[in-house]
Amino acid sequence: MKLGVFMSSFESGSDVLDRLTAEKLGIILVGNGVYHAAVKDSGKESPIFKKSANFYVLAEDLESRGFNASNVDSRAKVVNYGDVVDLIFNDYEKIIWI
Amino acid sequence: MATIKKLAFVVRSLPYKTEASRLAFTHAIASQTVEIYLEDGENIEPVLCFIGNGVMNCLKNQQAMKHYGITSNEQHMKNSLLLDLKVMICKEDLDKFGIKEDALIMDAEDIGGETKAQIVPYSEIQKELEAVDHIQLF
Repeated sequence: MKLGVFMSSFESGSDVLDRLTAEKLGIILVGNGVYHAAVKDSGKESPIFKKSANFYVLAEDLESRGFNASNVDSRAKVVNYGDVVDLIFNDYEKIIWI
Repeated sequence: MATIKKLAFVVRSLPYKTEASRLAFTHAIASQTVEIYLEDGENIEPVLCFIGNGVMNCLKNQQAMKHYGITSNEQHMKNSLLLDLKVMICKEDLDKFGIKEDALIMDAEDIGGETKAQIVPYSEIQKELEAVDHIQLF
């Protein structure tokens, strides 16, 4: 399946995320989830980047919190609301929120 | 004899997803307006402390008004400094996230404030918590 996962928390979500497998996995960081891509806790990258997935970060939530694209991990693509709508409708068959 | 009640507003929550950190700012600011309810010689002295994830509230360039249509916590931080509230930001937690002082709201000079925020080790915050009458955690 093609699975899109919205993460809106700075918690790792590992109880769910570690077990998820999908033919195509997209992790979309929104709300407080943007911190996964914008800061390193104790110098370490977020464990979510261990997943084999496409990573996206919502620009609006990033900028509201005082960050911009230059702060974002290079593996994550900065997208806007319109892009997220396109991802939901065009790229992923199922969407979950953790 | 003057009686001063010291209140600590300790922020450990990230901004925006919940109202918690915003409430810390607004409560701390509002504590400056309660004089009408106090007896002569009584006063309230608030201190805002940012620890853990709460240090993210102190980042510059928050564009919450642009994207969410709400006042940013950056503006609340500046209003706090404008009112000469004591603001302490935990150094260890800033270091943990690799956040430098130049990324932080350290003053409110652009709106006429003179008080500056302080980056301090947690031990300083601990001393402050021991000195206050009440602690509120957000």
